[in-house]
Amino acid sequence: MYNNYGNSPGMQMPPIGQMPPAAGQMPSANPQPGQFGNPFYGASSGLIKTGLGAYGEKFLGSSSEFMQSNINRYFSNPQYYFHVNDQYVRNKLKVILFPFLHRGHWTRISEPVGGRLSYKPPIYDINAPDLYIPFMAFGSFIILAGFTLGFMGKFTPEAINLQFSRGLIGWALQIVILKGLLYSMGGGEVPLLDLVAYGGYLFAGLSLAVISRLLWAYSYFVMMPWMSLCMGVFLVRTMKRVLFTEMRSSERHSTRQHYFLLFLAISQFPLFFWLGNIGA
Amino acid sequence: MAKEFPVPPVVFTPSTPTHRRHPPPGTGPSPPPAFAPPRPSTSSGANPLPFMSFDVGNAATSSSPPLFAGPIGVGGSGASFEDEPPLLEELGINTRQIWRKTLSILHPLRSADPSLHADADLSGPFLFLLSFGLFQLLAGKFHFGIVLGWVTVASLFLYFVFSMLSGGRRGDLDLYRCVSLVGYCMLPMVIFSAISLFLPRGGGLIFGVGMGFVLWSTRVCTRLLAELASSGDEHRGLIAYACWLVYMLFSLLVVF
Repeated sequence: MYNNYGNSPGMQMPPIGQMPPAAGQMPSANPQPGQFGNPFYGASSGLIKTGLGAYGEKFLGSSSEFMQSNINRYFSNPQYYFHVNDQYVRNKLKVILFPFLHRGHWTRISEPVGGRLSYKPPIYDINAPDLYIPFMAFGSFIILAGFTLGFMGKFTPEAINLQFSRGLIGWALQIVILKGLLYSMGGGEVPLLDLVAYGGYLFAGLSLAVISRLLWAYSYFVMMPWMSLCMGVFLVRTMKRVLFTEMRSSERHSTRQHYFLLFLAISQFPLFFWLGNIGA
Repeated sequence: MAKEFPVPPVVFTPSTPTHRRHPPPGTGPSPPPAFAPPRPSTSSGANPLPFMSFDVGNAATSSSPPLFAGPIGVGGSGASFEDEPPLLEELGINTRQIWRKTLSILHPLRSADPSLHADADLSGPFLFLLSFGLFQLLAGKFHFGIVLGWVTVASLFLYFVFSMLSGGRRGDLDLYRCVSLVGYCMLPMVIFSAISLFLPRGGGLIFGVGMGFVLWSTRVCTRLLAELASSGDEHRGLIAYACWLVYMLFSLLVVF
């Protein structure tokens, strides 16, 4: 047979392994990328191939590094937030539910790891955010909502599912408020899971308010504002610390910052009353 | 050159048609309808094709022996039906093991054996969930779909929480095993749903009994989860609370 792969202009002779199978022959089980497999096939010189290849490699490498750094920055490692024990949970609940009684500092403990500072996990630092308490508090809220609905004679599995959805929406709203506050104050480098944790702490106070409502109906009107206030104080102190570490010293004590923190505290009241209004 | 073939002459004998729909007028009694089956012939010699006749005796005697004379399900291998494994065993359902697991959970004071539950299955849990749904049905509540959905979500929740708490050192715990454990530990809740049929609704008694059964389920599930996964002991209290939430959720279905 004739070899028709002459050195025609714009065509290169493919390597021997890339020759197409002759008529009647079966292609090999693992064919080499030939004329159609190689995107740079037919380029008159290797300049384009090497240039584009190097550029693509550099681009992909940098973009993957960028993605990795952003994922680490905004999402961090979820297992960090579950590095807790019984003692931490008890102490943290005291801080969340009674922030006035917290005599210690509100700043997080940092430690040098691999030449850069990183925060200690919750088990070693009471001020570190965790996700165990928000998850369990959310579950407790759903169960207590079920009991409330049951005592009101309105319990159905669908009502529980509805409460679950309402709880998730409330949690998302809290995260949006916190994110909006940080964004408007220029401290947007906080990991998302930190905000998820801070936003989820509201269910701890909410659960306590619902328990008090189950025990005595009228206590709801005392406990709900009280828990909203406690949550507001806790979040204001926490966000103040977050903003303090994130922002420059010139911007630390601006009036705008105080107004935003006041808005954060006040926003807890409608959120608590909306979520606590079970069976309405 | 065309070759000629001798063709025998065809003789048509005119006869009265028997299967004409409208017989000509004046031909006497009408013939049987076209859809009527042919009458069985009296003589076997008259009908050379036995399968066309309705004479069962003749057909049976003249027909060939049956094709499938061997035992059912044997494709010519010569093996007997007794050598086949039981159907449940073929499906991978070990009833003896399910019974042993059930007994290990049923004893409220003695701790459940974790080595038994290391080999997970979903047949036992499905049976328990089905019976839970049936007892709920007897109470006038149709909760089959709800129960299955909630168990799935609860298992995912427990698996996620536990895998996060253990920091990647999950030991022998995977999602399949977690679903199996949650399902098997539903057994006290199944008993509670059966007992609740005889308890007054809305009274303090049903809440007290319910709390007892929830604690029983929680205790068994916590122990099994902590034993099956490495480093479970340090988080036993935290796991116990998560399990308690799961079984409290199912107790709501029974109580209200």
